[in-house]
Amino acid sequence: MGVEADSTAHLDQFRADVRSWCQEHIPPDWRATQTGVDDDEFVRFQKWWFAELHAAGFAVPHWPREWGGGMSVGEQIVLYSELAAHDAPRLVLAFVGIHHAASTLLVAGTDEQRARHLPAILDGEIWVQGFSEPEAGSDLASLRTSARRDGDGYVVNGQKLWASGGKHADWCLLLARTDSEAPKRKGISYFLLDMTTPGVEVRPIRNAIGDSHFCEIFLNDVRIPAANLVGAENEGWQVAQATLGAERGMTMLELAERLGNAGFRRLVQMCPTDDPVVAERLTQFEIEITGLRGLCRKLVEDAEDGTAGLADASIVKLYYSEVLQRMTDFGAEIGGLPVHTELVKSASSGWESGSWMLDFIGSWEWTIPGGSSEIQRTIIAERGLGLPREPSAV
Amino acid sequence: MSEMVLDLSEDAQEYGRQALRAFEAAGGDQLVQDAEAKPAIRESLVGPVLNELGAWELDARTDVDGLEAAAALCRSAGYWALPYPVAERLAKPTDLESDGLIVVASNRPAGAVGGVETRWTAVTSGGTRSTVVGHGATGPAFVTPLELSEIDKNGAGDVALALALPCWTLLGMLDRAIELTIAHVSLRKQFGQPLSTFQGVQFQLTDAEVERSGLEILAKYALWSIGSDKPEAIVDALALRMSAIEAAEVVFRVCHQLHGAVGFCDETTLSWLSRYSQPLRRLPLGLSATRDELTRRAGRSGLTGLYA
Repeated sequence: MGVEADSTAHLDQFRADVRSWCQEHIPPDWRATQTGVDDDEFVRFQKWWFAELHAAGFAVPHWPREWGGGMSVGEQIVLYSELAAHDAPRLVLAFVGIHHAASTLLVAGTDEQRARHLPAILDGEIWVQGFSEPEAGSDLASLRTSARRDGDGYVVNGQKLWASGGKHADWCLLLARTDSEAPKRKGISYFLLDMTTPGVEVRPIRNAIGDSHFCEIFLNDVRIPAANLVGAENEGWQVAQATLGAERGMTMLELAERLGNAGFRRLVQMCPTDDPVVAERLTQFEIEITGLRGLCRKLVEDAEDGTAGLADASIVKLYYSEVLQRMTDFGAEIGGLPVHTELVKSASSGWESGSWMLDFIGSWEWTIPGGSSEIQRTIIAERGLGLPREPSAV
Repeated sequence: MSEMVLDLSEDAQEYGRQALRAFEAAGGDQLVQDAEAKPAIRESLVGPVLNELGAWELDARTDVDGLEAAAALCRSAGYWALPYPVAERLAKPTDLESDGLIVVASNRPAGAVGGVETRWTAVTSGGTRSTVVGHGATGPAFVTPLELSEIDKNGAGDVALALALPCWTLLGMLDRAIELTIAHVSLRKQFGQPLSTFQGVQFQLTDAEVERSGLEILAKYALWSIGSDKPEAIVDALALRMSAIEAAEVVFRVCHQLHGAVGFCDETTLSWLSRYSQPLRRLPLGLSATRDELTRRAGRSGLTGLYA
């Protein structure tokens, strides 16, 4: 897309179009009606909202045009800031499918794999990531789930952990070891796993806020056809590296916009703003959120131009996680009794639900998955500042 | 003026150790899990072991030995996230027919006493005392809104102990959280070595331990100030509370971070500890409100401190 697609006049018109669409399509009461709903209703609502976005061309703006996307970065920034400004529901269930699965298929998939899955994702196919294991978290490359070649397929055995949304998933992005003799990063392969395959068992894990979004996936003699291998055998690590961070910029921008809109608005509405201590804290948050939104915008624009620094995405993730933790903590502090007694939040919201205790405890998870804060700091030190590796690290 | 004592007596420490073992024998970490499933059984679940320990014979208000033993007991209760308002029971006023004292905020009073039916008294930081005549549904971590009927405004002297003892409970939780985290990072290997060998991990834990140590010494100082009937005991108790909330923030944040995702799962003790630390950290006053109250009371004179 050239200058024309991102000209001010074009973007202004696009913004006006998105605004009127939002006013017509976002149910004004979704937070209330989605509070305390059961799993079936959550899934139904998520799929309905995804279909609404898809019908408008807003579900997968970052995909290539031939697969249903094709928006410029400028248009995507407008889209996500308007959706956040109008307090749209968040795509929770579709997230892995439209981001990680799609970027994997687009970068490393076969034509058949793309044709099979990309349209299906647009029709509501749900994906889960099967990467982490009990002994392989930050050190993902030490994973042990094995895939043994057997005729025209593979037989997989092992256990995956922290598979968010695993109980609703139709398909899984699976990393498994196909060569146990090779150095750890060279013996891993990348598979597409149909979650209905015999031998796949999903167990939800109850977490500190009482929900079971995290899941364990047990794999016992699970057969995967060779056609579902992505990239070459034993080159799964490279595939994962190429696709994992692919969407971080725009997804972070979306989250930052949500925090800056509904999240901050809810905080201000709840606070006694005539109290000078409270007013000072709110001002500080406003400054930090403005910084965060600016960082996200710069990251997506620089990534588009090919000028993003190697540590920029890590800086954004650290910054967001820490602002989020402090802000939700302050919400829990100010919120008083209901914070303790009303532990229910709206499904389909993010970490800006306004149920501050749940948002606060949920915010802690941000500094752990997708590269813990320790890993992000290591990346910033080594790739951003050019500092040497820790002597003891192997 | 009694000489400043910044440690518990050997007897109190031994009593604390006995309590730790007794709570373990009574079910340890399982107790809070059973109580969460059925808050109404809290009394029958831990009442017997507290009786055996002679908890309700301790006189924390008029006897310094009793006060130190009470603090040690609260700390041991915190270590196991014992599902019982031990600190509140031990803080009961001496001049009322009451079994326990809860410090409440002046609006929307609440306490983590759901399921424990006994004669509760509430007091605001300003000293207004009320009988708890009813309460709402028991919410998460046993928090329940309280219905109050005012008795008098003579409770100003009751507040300091009732603020300080729950800080000892929280201190016990921080002891445990750090212990669990040291065990976790020593056992868990990533990149071919225990997490504990990474300096980035060590430094986070040391920051947490510095916070915990600071809280411990302030807890002992406030206890001495209360036991010596210092006029500034209430200010010392508020300073302790502020330090306790800040320390809990750092310690739990570090312990969760170093546990990784597993720390959020109820399969780990940390998840339970951290959830049950919330009412202690947020009721009756959170960090800003505690700081505000402290600022108003300490005024321009500041804290008396150790070297007055």
